[in-house]
Amino acid sequence: MPENTIALRKEVQEKIRELGDADIVVGIPSYNNARTIGHVVRAVQAGLSKYFPDSKSVLVNSDGGSTDGTMDVVRETTVDFDSILLHHRVGNLHKIITPYHGIPGKGSAFRTIFEIAKSLNVKACAVVDSDLRSITPEWIELLVSPVLNAGYDYVAPYYHRHKYDGTITNTIVYPMTRALYGHRIRQPIGGDFGLSGRLASFYLSKNVWETDVARFGIDIWMTTTAVANAFKVCQAFLGAKIHDPKEPGSDLSAMLHQVVSSVFNLMEEYADVWREIEGSKAVPTFGFVYSVGLEPINVNLDGMIEKFRLGVKELSVMYESFLPGELMWFLATVGEKPKDKFSIPDNVWVEIVYNFAVACHRKLMSREHIIKSLTPLYLGKVASFVIETWESTASEVEQRLEELCLAFEKEKPYLIGKWFEEEEEEER
Amino acid sequence: MENLFDKIVTSPMKDCFQKLIEFLPNLLSSMVIFVLGFLSGWVIKSVIQKLLEVFNTDRFCQRMGITPVLEKGGIRTTPTRLLSQISYWFVVIVFFIMALYTLKIPAIEDLLEKFFLYLPNVFVSVLLIVVGYILSNFAGRATLIAAVNSGMKFSGLLSKTVKTIVFLLSFTMALEQLGIGRDTVIAAFTIVFGGIVLALSIAFGLGGKDVAKEYLEKKFRGEIEKEDDLKHL
Repeated sequence: MPENTIALRKEVQEKIRELGDADIVVGIPSYNNARTIGHVVRAVQAGLSKYFPDSKSVLVNSDGGSTDGTMDVVRETTVDFDSILLHHRVGNLHKIITPYHGIPGKGSAFRTIFEIAKSLNVKACAVVDSDLRSITPEWIELLVSPVLNAGYDYVAPYYHRHKYDGTITNTIVYPMTRALYGHRIRQPIGGDFGLSGRLASFYLSKNVWETDVARFGIDIWMTTTAVANAFKVCQAFLGAKIHDPKEPGSDLSAMLHQVVSSVFNLMEEYADVWREIEGSKAVPTFGFVYSVGLEPINVNLDGMIEKFRLGVKELSVMYESFLPGELMWFLATVGEKPKDKFSIPDNVWVEIVYNFAVACHRKLMSREHIIKSLTPLYLGKVASFVIETWESTASEVEQRLEELCLAFEKEKPYLIGKWFEEEEEEER
Repeated sequence: MENLFDKIVTSPMKDCFQKLIEFLPNLLSSMVIFVLGFLSGWVIKSVIQKLLEVFNTDRFCQRMGITPVLEKGGIRTTPTRLLSQISYWFVVIVFFIMALYTLKIPAIEDLLEKFFLYLPNVFVSVLLIVVGYILSNFAGRATLIAAVNSGMKFSGLLSKTVKTIVFLLSFTMALEQLGIGRDTVIAAFTIVFGGIVLALSIAFGLGGKDVAKEYLEKKFRGEIEKEDDLKHL
C-alpha cells in the first residue's frame, strides 16, 4: 500500500487492506447533509452498477463531523435495483465512511478521498456534491468513462445554467482561465468532476492542504493544476445542477474574494506556464448538450449600478494607485450615464481585471482589500452585461461571452508586460 | 596694596588659567569625539540604507500608505533615504552628547542625565504614533470597502471616523507616554469618545428601533429578502 500523506483511521486502513485494489472510487464530501445525501448515494450506486458492473467500485463518504446523522444515512442507503435496471446486475460496490482530518473545508474532504483512491490504486475517481437534487446515475458514467475508456485525466463538469447564472465564472474565472492556460473549460469551478488515479496522486503531492485551498479554493485549484501541468482534460455535460437551497444573502464580496484570490494565487504559481501560452483551444465535451427555455428572473439593475457609482466615488483614491488614468476617467464618466446608456465595454473590463491581478502581484496593499474593492466594478460589469443581453437567447449570450473571452486573450500581452515589468527591470 | 592686587586679580586669574589648562584635555577629547560622530554616522547611514534596500522598505511603506503621507507633507525623499538620514543624525547626536559628557561640566551632566532618562518615552511615543497611523489607515480602508460593498451612502464619513478614532487613540497613548498633560488628555479623550458613542447609541437606539426590530425579526425567521435572483457562482 502506498505511503499516505495523512493518517487514515484504523477501520479505514483495515477496509483498504481487505479490498486490496479497486477500479473506481466515487467520493462524496459532506457536512450535515442528511436530508439530501441519500438521493446522491442512490444515484452513485445505481450509476456504478449500471455502467460499471464489472468494475470493483468504492463509494467514499468524507465527512466534516456531521451531527445530523449524515454518515448513518450513507451507511444505510441502498438501491432498489429492480425498479431502475432492466437487468439486475450484481455490482461489486463497497462503501467507506469516514470523517476527514485537517482544516475544515471541502479541500480537506477531497484530500481524504484522494488518499483512499491512491491507497486502492484506482484507475478513475469521481467526486460529487452531497446536496445535489438533480444528480442521476448517468452523471457517474459521464464523469468516469472519459477517464477509464478514453484516457483523460480530468473531467470538468458542464452544467446547463440560466444565461445569468454564474456571473463571476462568466466574467472573470472562465475568460481568465481560458486566456491564461489555453483551455476552454466552460465551468472551471464546477464542484463535481472526474479524475484519473494518476492525477489524484499528483494532487496529493502538492503542499496546499494546510492553506486556503483546503478551505475554499479546491475546485479552481484542481482545474488549474490539471491544465497547467499538461494533464489531458475534457468536460462532460451533466444537465442542470440543482442544489439544496442555501441560506440567502451570502456576502458577495467575500465570495468574490475567495474565488478571485484563488485565481490570482495560482497565477503566481504558474506564471512561467501562462506566460508562454497564446490563444486557446476547445476541450472535448462528452454528453448530449441541450438547452431549454429561459425562465424570467429578477435582476436589481438599479441596485447594481448604484453600488458601482458609490464604489467609483468612494474608492477612487484606492483605484488610482493601480488603475491607469484613462481607465479612471472612463469609470467616472460611465457612472454619470443613465441606465439605458450604461455600458462597460469588454476591453475596459479586461484592463480592470488584469490591473487588479498585477496590483495583487506587486503587493501594493492588502490583497484582501484590493480584491474586495473589485466588487463595485464587478457589479457594474454584470449590470452592463445584463442590459446588453436582456432580450438575448441563451446561445446569443454564449456568443457574447465568447467575444469577452477573445478580448481577454487579445489583451494578454498587456498583462504579461505589466506582470513581468519589475523582473525585467531588475534584470537590466 | 600689592597683597590686595594679588588677592583680587592675580590669584583668581591664576586659578582660572589653571582651570582652563585642566579643561583643555577634556575639550580636545570632546572635539575628537564630536568629529568621530560624523564619521560613524556616515558608516551607520550606509549600512542601514543597504539593509533597508534589501528588505524592500520603500515598497512596504508604499503599501502601508506612509509614502503618500510623506509626499503630502512635502518630503519627496524615499523612506529608505529618510530613515538612513535619521539614523545618521541620531548617531551624530549621540556622539555630540558623549562629547558634552566628556567636558565634565556638572550642570550639563545633570541635564543630559534627565534627557537620557526621558529618551525611551520619546522612542515609545514615536513608535505608538507610527503604528497607530498604519493601523488607522488599514482600519479606515477596511471599513470603507466593507461599507461601500454594503451600499452605505455615508461610507466615506464612516471610514474617516474610524480612521480618526484609531489614530486619536494612539496619539493619546503617545501623549500619555510622554507625560504631557496626562490626566487632561485622558479625560478629554474619554469625554469626547464616550460622548460620541452615547450620542450614536441614543440616535440609533431611539431613531432606528423600529428598523432594528423589523430586521431582527426577519433575520430570526430567515426571511431576509434577496435583492435579486442572480447566482454569482
